[in-house]
Amino acid sequence: MINNELVDHLFRHEYGKLVSLLSHRVGMRHIEMIEDAVQFALTTALDNWIREQIPKNPSAWLFRVASNKLVSELRSETRHNELLQDNLEQLSRRAAEPSQFHLPNELEDEMLRMLFICCDHKVPIESQLIFALKSLCGFSISEIAIRLFSSEANIYKRLSRARNTLKKISPPSFELSNSDYIKRLPSVTRILYLMFTEGHLSSNVDFAIRKDLCEEAIRLTLILVNHSVGDNPECHALLSLMFLNLSRMSAREDMSGALLLLEEQNRELWDRGCIEHGLYWLAKSADGQHFSRYHAEAGVAAEHCLASSYKKTNWERIVDCYLLLEQSAPSALHQLNRAIAIAEWKGPQAGLEVLQANTPPSWLASNYLWSAVLADLHLRAREYQLGEYYSIEAIHSAPSQQICDLLKRRFAKSRGEGQ
Amino acid sequence: MSKQFLCIQRSQSGPCESAPSPSPSQMEAMYAKFNAWKEKYSEHIVDMGGKLNADGKVVKQDSAHDGPFIESKEIIGGFMIVSADSLEFATEIVQASPGVAMPGSSVEIREIHKP
Repeated sequence: MINNELVDHLFRHEYGKLVSLLSHRVGMRHIEMIEDAVQFALTTALDNWIREQIPKNPSAWLFRVASNKLVSELRSETRHNELLQDNLEQLSRRAAEPSQFHLPNELEDEMLRMLFICCDHKVPIESQLIFALKSLCGFSISEIAIRLFSSEANIYKRLSRARNTLKKISPPSFELSNSDYIKRLPSVTRILYLMFTEGHLSSNVDFAIRKDLCEEAIRLTLILVNHSVGDNPECHALLSLMFLNLSRMSAREDMSGALLLLEEQNRELWDRGCIEHGLYWLAKSADGQHFSRYHAEAGVAAEHCLASSYKKTNWERIVDCYLLLEQSAPSALHQLNRAIAIAEWKGPQAGLEVLQANTPPSWLASNYLWSAVLADLHLRAREYQLGEYYSIEAIHSAPSQQICDLLKRRFAKSRGEGQ
Repeated sequence: MSKQFLCIQRSQSGPCESAPSPSPSQMEAMYAKFNAWKEKYSEHIVDMGGKLNADGKVVKQDSAHDGPFIESKEIIGGFMIVSADSLEFATEIVQASPGVAMPGSSVEIREIHKP
């Protein structure tokens, strides 16, 4: 099922492919003109394809229209500037060169190259993400704003910053060296991880919109692992954790869109095909010496997917994974997750002990997750006074009505009500 | 015997140019919507017609001017021919079409007179 959805977005995905291909041909410094030409080709396609049949090879059709447009724009821009004339001839030839881009591999290489170009350390990570969403996934500025909970003006600002930086620094020879690819791989995986978690973890937007982001992240990660540069255990683990988490996404909400607790979810709704993909890549990731944070997170997700019920979850293994995660990516949030797993395994008191061992950083202490977990564990340990104190705090700082409702239901259970 | 109708699509000149062009996902949605509509009324669409280019001439007995829409607020953007038993049904077909979906656009339906 997932594969069909991944190939479905013809217009959006052609956008990313064409921008990648053309920017390789004429250089990143013409990025705006390239995006305009691709947009023009898609608009023209829409007009034509609805009146006539869709052409046999839509990619070739779009490429022809976009590159013709780009060449004519390049010409009219440089007409006044004689010095650029020679350069222009060369660029025009490159842009319009008929290509064997019918070969899907070549296009995927182009997209991968673009992804590595935008993951330059001189571009702030937020801007890298926005640039990738715009140029590779074909999202408009307003669509990105909705997906990242930001204003259009803010997205626009970050996008321009990324474009301007990339225009200056992208390799004038049009090529990235092998060592560039190796050096930038961690940034690339981080951006893909970020794209996925933005879709997976955010709480107050439409489910379909969030799933979109997850599927885009998977699409690009698939391209990465199918290429020699990304064909390694760490990238396999990243892809695995994406599939395993995506498999459970549609079960997280009930019919009315309200969030469900893990123990309330109908496990029948988990996407088996997705889980199989996830387990396949997890098996492939179990290779070599390096244990990455992606391995740990894929491990946690796999334990949940493999448990036939909430009660049968192997919490001990999950605790192990979180410990490993804390070692490879120290974060108080991972410790919090470990405390939750320990509480399921050994009881609420044991969970509280983990949390009381360290003072939380201020960003976490003020987050609803922190007070919600403390409330839950205290209530379950029958320490009602502290439990009620933290539950009020958690409900007060919940970021959305859905989360607020979820917390109230959870706390009622923790108090032992309705059982 | 079914009648034929000429459908003339008009859109406002000017403001449309400055409107943001649809995003690739919006185009996807429009394309899907159009195809569904085309499928539903395929028997009634005699000629999908086409878009009309912006340049043309207005020809009179003694002159031929560039135009015709320099002064006009609405320009004819496209046309098609549908067949229907009644003007009411032709209206239904057109109303369901994406051709009237854009703000400021309208479609004029005229029965093609056949004696």
